[in-house]
Amino acid sequence: MTGMDARLQAIRNATRVASEDLRARALSIDADPDAMEAHLDSPVFALMREVGTPDAYRESHSASGELLKHGASCLENAVGTVELARGDAAVALACPSPALAGVIVDLLGTEKQQELFYTRLHGGRTWTFFAMTEPRHGSDATAMETRLERDGAGDWLLSGRKLYIGNGARGGIGVVFGRTGPSPLSIRAALIELPAAGWQGKRVDTIGLRGAYLSELSFDKVPVRSDMLLGQHLPATRRGMWGAIKTFNAMRVQVAGAAVGTALAMTEYVAEHHKNATGADLVLARAQAARELVFEAAARTDRDPERSYLSCVAKLGAARVAVQTARWASSALGPAGLLEHPLLEKWIRDSCGFEFMEGTGNIQRLHVSRGYQAGDASV
Amino acid sequence: MSAATGELRKSCMRECELVARSDGLAAGLGLALLGVDVLAVAPGRWAAVPSRQAPIGAKTRTHRLAEPEGIVFVACPGDRPQATPGLLRTGKLLAAVRLGLVRRLLDLAVEHLAGRTTGGEPLLSKQLLSGDIANVIADVELLRVYARCQHDLAAMAELHRQLGELGWQVTKLFGAIGYLADYPVRALYVAVLVADTWLAGEAAQ
Repeated sequence: MTGMDARLQAIRNATRVASEDLRARALSIDADPDAMEAHLDSPVFALMREVGTPDAYRESHSASGELLKHGASCLENAVGTVELARGDAAVALACPSPALAGVIVDLLGTEKQQELFYTRLHGGRTWTFFAMTEPRHGSDATAMETRLERDGAGDWLLSGRKLYIGNGARGGIGVVFGRTGPSPLSIRAALIELPAAGWQGKRVDTIGLRGAYLSELSFDKVPVRSDMLLGQHLPATRRGMWGAIKTFNAMRVQVAGAAVGTALAMTEYVAEHHKNATGADLVLARAQAARELVFEAAARTDRDPERSYLSCVAKLGAARVAVQTARWASSALGPAGLLEHPLLEKWIRDSCGFEFMEGTGNIQRLHVSRGYQAGDASV
Repeated sequence: MSAATGELRKSCMRECELVARSDGLAAGLGLALLGVDVLAVAPGRWAAVPSRQAPIGAKTRTHRLAEPEGIVFVACPGDRPQATPGLLRTGKLLAAVRLGLVRRLLDLAVEHLAGRTTGGEPLLSKQLLSGDIANVIADVELLRVYARCQHDLAAMAELHRQLGELGWQVTKLFGAIGYLADYPVRALYVAVLVADTWLAGEAAQ
């Protein structure tokens, strides 16, 4: 990276080493995402969990964990994400860790809620979930149908459906968004600990990124104690959607980083197995440029976490580069090359998944256009 | 149609396209491979064929996504031919199959989108989407002619690279449902695997 300082280089080097462990597990988890027991004691999973956990709730303190502190900048996270995805993005997504739910629990949770959330993850066998997307509305939160209704005794009942929720059907604790009324400010995030009455979840089979364990969830009057609503201690404008938007702005860059990491992995894999592959230099240069863009977007998100223009540009561009790279890789290893190189074939399937994460390409295009018209584009 | 010279009548390609559009990838592939000696012509060590057309006694392997599409991969041992007229012919017919498949899924995408709204308005009325649909169908028209006119394997590889991109443009129209393994869009992912076994050249970038 242009101008990568010593700290970023150290993060890159540490995560690059860790990525080898992820890659070694990639085909196994792709073949059977339910068979996770053999992977749960991975030292890299322990590191990812440690990094995602605030100091006060950590089970262990490793040297790498000290380097990759909880609450790291978006840029530091992006550097790490690219390298982990270079190992395997789907395995990283299969890790039981705070993940996206942790980001919003940090933003909106009280100390007591944070303690409940993070201590539940001890032992490394509890997945988390962040349930926003709905079957008929995608991530269009304004059309959200999931409801939080009063139960008559001061608490709430959660009803509705969510779809494409990572690790949802195997989760132990996480966050579900629902609305208490018709206005945008009525959208709230509830911390849900499982098992819970009225909760059902099942995995949906995906083309790739199978480690993400995308799930469909349904809630039939799931009881939610009033002290499990996040943001109760915050002003009404900072409770639900504000937290979700900030979370998405940060996570969009990480998805872009994962797409770039996968593109780099495919490029390097082909170069290793076919020394004179046509166009390899061009494809690598394209992926490296996308990586630069992701880092620039991450740095800008650190400076202004509520502006989304460049993170949308980066996600749009990185997802495209991943698919373009996959297209090139498909033809680079000769006839039947994909059947003879199952890891590459898996990455080609995985690379399509980034298009659909944290907003599709068309959603990003709309944001980019609005940002451009608002004067957010680079000089 | 002459398997020996690779020359094809326009009607053969049209028939492959129509069958793939009406009956899907395996049916189209079956027609494209009719009369082809798979073990002699396939350029790689594995060749995609409809499950029902696998040569008797041949070793086969399955793929999680291809199997439910009715497609298996046949082992093709020994030295493989790299530039035969038969291969060019198969590449052209397979291109027609992929065009038919794109039409099949585009029809389904439009049907899917017709039932969806955003902000109270039909999704199909949005310029972003109607523009995407127009681009797909314009590319179908262009690539159909392109497929008929190409006479070397490198051009065929480039054509199939473009067909992969075209399939992806259709896939995106479905949104996240287009990433589900038990949804009809799966056939577009499998088509990439199928083409990979029947193409001998590297595509230009």
